[in-house]
Amino acid sequence: MTDRTISVDYLARVEGEGALRVRIHDRSVDAVELAIFEPPRYFEAFLRGRSYLEAPDITARICGICPVAYQMSACHAMERGLGLSIAPEVRALRRLLYCGEWIESHALHVFLLHLPDFFGVPDAIHLAKGHREVVERGLALKRVGNELMTVLGGREIHPINIRVGGFYRTPAREELHALRPRLANALRLAEETVRLCASLPFPDVENDYEFVSLRHPDEYPMNEGEVVSNRGLRIPPARYDEEFRELQVPYSHALHSVRRGGGSYLVGPLARYALNRDRLGPCAATIVREVGLEPVVRNPFRSVIVRAVEMVYACEEALRIIDGYRPPERPYVEASGALASDDCVAITEAPRGMLYHRYRLDATGTIQEARIVAPTSQNQKRIEEDVRKVVERSIDLETEPLTMACEQAIRNHDPCISCATHFLSLDLVRD
Amino acid sequence: MHEEALLRDLRRKIRELAELERGEEISRVSLWVGALSHVTEEMLRSRWPTVVEGTPAQRAQLDVEVSEDLDDPRAGGIVLVKVSVRAPGGSRPGDASDPRAQEGPPP
Repeated sequence: MTDRTISVDYLARVEGEGALRVRIHDRSVDAVELAIFEPPRYFEAFLRGRSYLEAPDITARICGICPVAYQMSACHAMERGLGLSIAPEVRALRRLLYCGEWIESHALHVFLLHLPDFFGVPDAIHLAKGHREVVERGLALKRVGNELMTVLGGREIHPINIRVGGFYRTPAREELHALRPRLANALRLAEETVRLCASLPFPDVENDYEFVSLRHPDEYPMNEGEVVSNRGLRIPPARYDEEFRELQVPYSHALHSVRRGGGSYLVGPLARYALNRDRLGPCAATIVREVGLEPVVRNPFRSVIVRAVEMVYACEEALRIIDGYRPPERPYVEASGALASDDCVAITEAPRGMLYHRYRLDATGTIQEARIVAPTSQNQKRIEEDVRKVVERSIDLETEPLTMACEQAIRNHDPCISCATHFLSLDLVRD
Repeated sequence: MHEEALLRDLRRKIRELAELERGEEISRVSLWVGALSHVTEEMLRSRWPTVVEGTPAQRAQLDVEVSEDLDDPRAGGIVLVKVSVRAPGGSRPGDASDPRAQEGPPP
């Protein structure tokens, strides 16, 4: 007996996970509600009862685009609570790993999700037809980011080499130096990307954002720093809950974050750049000057330029770290003695913005409580406000072009929620 | 997430095919991954057990072809190319009666 083979040729589709409900009454916008249907995944609940050592690997599964961010926030939170000091060489390797994720994630957003909007095509497939070299450049950059993650993390998605206290295995100098030629080429490609993005036509929009990001005394922020804003906020990450809170809204599974006593705020590349542009490296600073990028970018469509600038920075920073790398004496340090802590808190800068982790451990190092605030939920309310402005400006458009305009407003900020790609359903009610 | 949504849709399609074939076991699944799909073979293989868990394809051999063709109109997606349905009394990969067992493991 032989098996029977059936030809299927079925192209898998993404079912809509996002919907936008807009109510317009007498030519004024009554309500804009961005609903995310993706079901809750209960990560915070099933971290309870697990060892503190498992948090980096479990939380990495929250996102396939930025797993390193979850691993970094989890590791730093545990190390802070347990009083672990990390060797400078390990610290540098973590920064290098984060560079890989920034390059990979920004390349995905810029080339495959955002640029098609500016070229007036529906997606990267259509962009490749007329501008093949642009898409190939994006894929080359994405590949370099993935290679960095593979060398340091053991694999490109959901790395397995990261642990509380350091790495299971640290690379030899030769392994990192082998990446140098491709990173040098990626730096050149990223600079060309900034020039390309800066030459695009942009809608004339300015939004009055409260930008929030980390700020470090010496570096463009990735793993460490104080939480600062352009409206005077300056706190250590441990005080995050005193200044910010999450709200449930009846129409969406996604939580919304707000400033306590205030409103929405924005995290991510626009915020990092506005609050840390003086910490960019020489290559990024030079290209910023060359294209005349304003010191604070309030036009969300121009975030495509800022992401490209951050790719330049991540490439040059990766090269700097590789050139100065010496393997640490030990790949990781371990906690000893009592492991109880109420104080396992950290914020790191995921490509899309600040990622907050807080844990409480018992004396055996078992997680009793976990709290994770992702950049997506921090930006959710602000994205809704941006979309509202788009609807107000475009109130006479037919449904199809209005949907496109709203999708573009979402893609300005976040590639990770399902509705960042082209399947937003628009429920438009005109009274 | 984008890739999760694609995998969920594949799972739905595999279940649908299994129903059409009256629940017979699916022994082999062939997928084609587009150059712009944001999905890697490694990710696909690591997630595959959860995609097919509880379906008639849960013991199926998985074949993956990753395309680098940017011009393919399906470049943004994953294609379920073909499935093999086990005939009654048919062998499983690795069984002594499986002809492939004589040839060693698949490449």
